[in-house]
Amino acid sequence: MEIYLPIAEMSVHWLIILGMGGAVGFLSGMFGVGGGFLLTPLLIFYGIPSEVAVATTASHITASSMAGVIAHWKRRTVDFTMAGVLLAGGLIGTSVGVYLFKLLREAGQSEFVVSAGYVILLGTVGGLMLKESLETLRAARSGNPPSTRPAHHNWIHGLPLKMRFRQSRLYISVFPPLVLGFIVGILSAIMGVGGGFILVPAMIYLLRMPTSVVMGTSFLQILCVTAATTVLQATSNYTVDIMLAGVLILGGVVGAQFGVRTGSRLRGEQLRLLLAILVLAVGVRLLIGLVVTPADIFSVAVEGQ
Amino acid sequence: MRAALIALVLALTPGTALAENLVSGLSQDQIQITSNYTGSDLVVFGAIEQSAEPDEDTGAGRRDVVVVVRGPGATMDVRRKQRIAGIWINNREITLTGMPAYYYVASTRPLDKIAPAQTLGRYQIGLDHVKPESASTHNMAKAEQFRQAVVRERSRGRLFAEAPAGVEFLGYSLFRVHVPVPAGAPRGQYTAEVYLFKDGVVMAAQSTPLFVDQIGLERRLFNFAHNDAFAYGLATVIMAMLLGWLSSLIFRRT
Repeated sequence: MEIYLPIAEMSVHWLIILGMGGAVGFLSGMFGVGGGFLLTPLLIFYGIPSEVAVATTASHITASSMAGVIAHWKRRTVDFTMAGVLLAGGLIGTSVGVYLFKLLREAGQSEFVVSAGYVILLGTVGGLMLKESLETLRAARSGNPPSTRPAHHNWIHGLPLKMRFRQSRLYISVFPPLVLGFIVGILSAIMGVGGGFILVPAMIYLLRMPTSVVMGTSFLQILCVTAATTVLQATSNYTVDIMLAGVLILGGVVGAQFGVRTGSRLRGEQLRLLLAILVLAVGVRLLIGLVVTPADIFSVAVEGQ
Repeated sequence: MRAALIALVLALTPGTALAENLVSGLSQDQIQITSNYTGSDLVVFGAIEQSAEPDEDTGAGRRDVVVVVRGPGATMDVRRKQRIAGIWINNREITLTGMPAYYYVASTRPLDKIAPAQTLGRYQIGLDHVKPESASTHNMAKAEQFRQAVVRERSRGRLFAEAPAGVEFLGYSLFRVHVPVPAGAPRGQYTAEVYLFKDGVVMAAQSTPLFVDQIGLERRLFNFAHNDAFAYGLATVIMAMLLGWLSSLIFRRT
């Protein structure tokens, strides 16, 4: 059955939307990421206007991270202090990002910036993760257990304003998580992603948080930032489609539940290798879109719709 | 200009329903887009009086019916991409104002056989002659390039179409046209125009307004999103969080 989306102003088949939400929700539960980096391009490929795709994806991620937060909350694997600091940076980032997005739309460059941004980010993050997980797997095979938490301190430990993060067993400066939260907030607004694909590796490799609390903490941060993004996009750009969001979320929350179960059965390195391949694949697909000669070099945007 | 011409033609012909020897009507004067709307057909029907048989050899005296349905005027930002360092980037933008957001033309024969281009242009009949009221450039050739881009884009979405044999005759004088109105049709006031041509000249014309609107839940959601954006955004977030929470409740039990 076709349903009409009031904000996107188009008819879509609800099963396709439900399926997209479910598939992305599954991956999000499995990897502990929001999945927006997959959902936004998927929706755009399906024909949803990119502004609506970006803004509506944020609310989809809110729902799937809600389920994730609850699951991790019960297991006590959420660092609330860390999430609070990340969120402070995140809310500033989101406000700046939504304003930037408005300017980009008016200049007609939002689509290009979204695609190019994805290519750079996904390429970098995916490449780093692929390299890291391959090295870990190789080390495990040769019999040398890799050190997950190196004893030596990196430059991050030299920064001022240190704070104790009990759950993460860390005593570090507030600046790295604050800046990290800010960057992720901007990304949420401009690209319709929760930012988990940056947040998770950054927490592991940069902040050196124990892997056990990384997922729960990133879910909480993503939940709050995408909720803020949804409200800000709705008020400044009118691009949140509640009908589209509802169907995506129905698929997403169910998919996420299965994803969490599947994810807990896989080993950390394997998960990271899979995620790295997925991230790189989406990046390559978007790069092709930028380089290949478009079918029509003209595009039309109707004002005030 | 075009509206004035139609008004002139109408003024010269006595009576509004019967213009000389043309009478026409619409199957509905309102199309309502609902949640399961997948597009529908508007039927334009009418009758012409065939006073004399056309000359069989030359075709002279043959009467042609052209039906044009125009959507509300819109402001369109048309952008052209250029390859810069191997990547396609928008680098030229022209704004066309007063361009119909929907356009459908059906005729008894291909338009170029019915009337000369000058006449078609005057009434803006045919995809080659749909024009914006104004363009943000004085370069005519450039404006035309960007106008054609709009025609291509709208045609892909089935919002612009030409049906050279779309006027269906039922018998001698009754005619009927099925005008497809897809789900993506913009809201607003449309006009259905019926022209009667003879030897390349407009003999009679009629114009009837019709409205395309969203109704029901979709319309209420659209109004909600625009009139009370903060509450709408908040409602979306609450719905998302509730669904997320409910799913973890349900899945814990099973």
